[in-house]
Amino acid sequence: MAPPAKAITSPVPDAWYPTLAVFMLAIGLVLTASFFIYEATSSKRNRSLAKELTTGGVASVFLGFGSLFLLLSAGVYV
Amino acid sequence: MESFRFCFLMLTIAILASPALSDLVLSKVDRRIYLTSHIVRISSTVKVENAGPEKESKVLLAFPEQQAKNMAYLMATPHEGKGKVKNPVVALPVEAANPKDMPAALTFYSVSLPKGLAEGDSFTFDVLAVFTHALRPIPEQITQADIQLVLYQDSAHYLSPYAVKVQSLSVKLPDSRIESYTKLENTKIHGSEIKYGPYENLPSFSYSPIAVHFESNLPFSVAQELVREIEISHWGNVQVTEHYKLIHGGAQSKGEFSRLDFLARPNVRGASAFRYLVANLPPRAHSVYYRDEIGNISTSHLRGDSKKTELLIEPRYPMFGGWRTAFTIGYGLPLQDFLYESDGKRFLNITFSSPMVELVIDALIVKVVLPEGSSDISVAAPFPVEQWQETKISHLDIDGRPVVVLKKTNVVPEHNQFFQVYYHFSQLSMLREPLMLISGFLFFFVACIVYMHADISISKSSASYLAKQQWEEVQAVIQQVQNIISRCLTTHDNLEASLHDLSRTGNIQACKAARKAADGLLKELSKELKPLLTFLQSSPSAAQVFPKVEELVAKERELQEKVMVKHSTVVDGYEKKLGARDIENRVALQQQKLTALRQEVDDLLELIDEI
Repeated sequence: MAPPAKAITSPVPDAWYPTLAVFMLAIGLVLTASFFIYEATSSKRNRSLAKELTTGGVASVFLGFGSLFLLLSAGVYV
Repeated sequence: MESFRFCFLMLTIAILASPALSDLVLSKVDRRIYLTSHIVRISSTVKVENAGPEKESKVLLAFPEQQAKNMAYLMATPHEGKGKVKNPVVALPVEAANPKDMPAALTFYSVSLPKGLAEGDSFTFDVLAVFTHALRPIPEQITQADIQLVLYQDSAHYLSPYAVKVQSLSVKLPDSRIESYTKLENTKIHGSEIKYGPYENLPSFSYSPIAVHFESNLPFSVAQELVREIEISHWGNVQVTEHYKLIHGGAQSKGEFSRLDFLARPNVRGASAFRYLVANLPPRAHSVYYRDEIGNISTSHLRGDSKKTELLIEPRYPMFGGWRTAFTIGYGLPLQDFLYESDGKRFLNITFSSPMVELVIDALIVKVVLPEGSSDISVAAPFPVEQWQETKISHLDIDGRPVVVLKKTNVVPEHNQFFQVYYHFSQLSMLREPLMLISGFLFFFVACIVYMHADISISKSSASYLAKQQWEEVQAVIQQVQNIISRCLTTHDNLEASLHDLSRTGNIQACKAARKAADGLLKELSKELKPLLTFLQSSPSAAQVFPKVEELVAKERELQEKVMVKHSTVVDGYEKKLGARDIENRVALQQQKLTALRQEVDDLLELIDEI
């Protein structure tokens, strides 16, 4: 311990976890809803795969981080 | 009887080994034996003097075998006089030694002095030896109402391979109730303290057995096994989980246990039992829990300040001699208090042993669970430990987390020192868990897309299947038609907007350009519309919806013409420099028709949507 040891903290302050979880999950769920609305309303022939994949991809990024922060705020430190 | 035989043996040895080992002489030895807990601590202050011509740098400490096997901890420090400012003491190195021509019944440790002793020099140091299971309960079995008596045996003379000039011994007991003790010359008793000595000029290996039989109702809490699991999460937590298998290590309880007696007079009917345990957790500990196999145990108290968090737990029943209990406590600690980084390596700096007060641990297993993706793991412990590595599969893991397992037997509170686990960890590895969650969700979305795109009907030639296929095609075409119509409508809106601009700025050229662009666009759109309409006309499934679509297209065309007419009228008006009121009058009728038509088109669009 002779060289100055630097304390390691988490990349995101613990206190933000609940807020982040709520907002990211909300955004993720809205995107999921829009994904399914698109799936259900557009007809099979003129559905664009790119649009489906982008909506799904962005929604899964938000849902993924949202559920991670939900786990962390619930005390399940992964 | 055993001790007498041992004594005889020692005397024989003393005679045989009379030529002294070296020219060292212990000029003064003060020993204090603390029996105030079930952990026996012997603290000795030793002044060593070199009487011979040769330089000496090592001093031997001797312990009889029966003591040595119970020894948990041995530390030597340079002696500091009373009243001095306490500097951080640096322990003198102590190692097991095997000197020649020494009796086999003794275990030796050698203390290295900071500098060699020349002739006539002296050095004073303190030795702290800690023993477990050194108090023998006699009687071995007691009832609930009995008090617990224990026996301690040692020597009144300091057992040493060197001659001792002056020595004294004091034995501190928890209570003044003493059943019996060995009376020698110069034995004094002051309340709960027995003093032997001073004795002068005793030869090497002198031994004089003493036994103290006294009352001790202190908690004999012994953890037969303790598994501590320290799990690091770089998301901000160090989770400690401790699984205890506890036993009351005192006199065995016999006869029946009466809860009523115990509750009525707990100090008499249950003096030997212990009811609670205290754990001093680190400060800022959070999410503390205390449970066993059945579930949560509600009898616990927690209070914390800035220095420590004190947890008081009560087992489910009072612990009598020989009774066992198993429970788990767990707590979370803030990451920044225990995890550090230096030279590109991260290290955990945390205490080794249990936070419980005055607990003997027969077998302690410390598992340090590092995050997935850690490598180059090394451990720095202040005392020798057995160690090996494992992996543990936990939340959101692929190939498991590396676990360093440290094992040590016979652990006392003195072992509660900091140890370090060094490892390499890339910050990017933290993204593993979120990426796993993200890919999970993405997989779900992809599955939905595949399901919606896949054709999973079995009979591809049945009439209903074909009809469905056709209907889907029609639907797609109608959607395209709707798209085109709505684009037409936006173009109309744009034209209206250009008129509005005209009334504001009077720029006729811009307005004309806008009209030209809109004209081109509308023509293109109607071109696009043509093949779709022919398709709808030919398709049998579109029979129902086609008239509506046709009507829609017709209405739209009418609307288009009207808009164009209105646009040219207004532009003409501006060119002829007519007043705004005049222009308005001219287009008023057209405007009404336009609004009506627009309404009809919107209605039709909605109607088609419903079909």
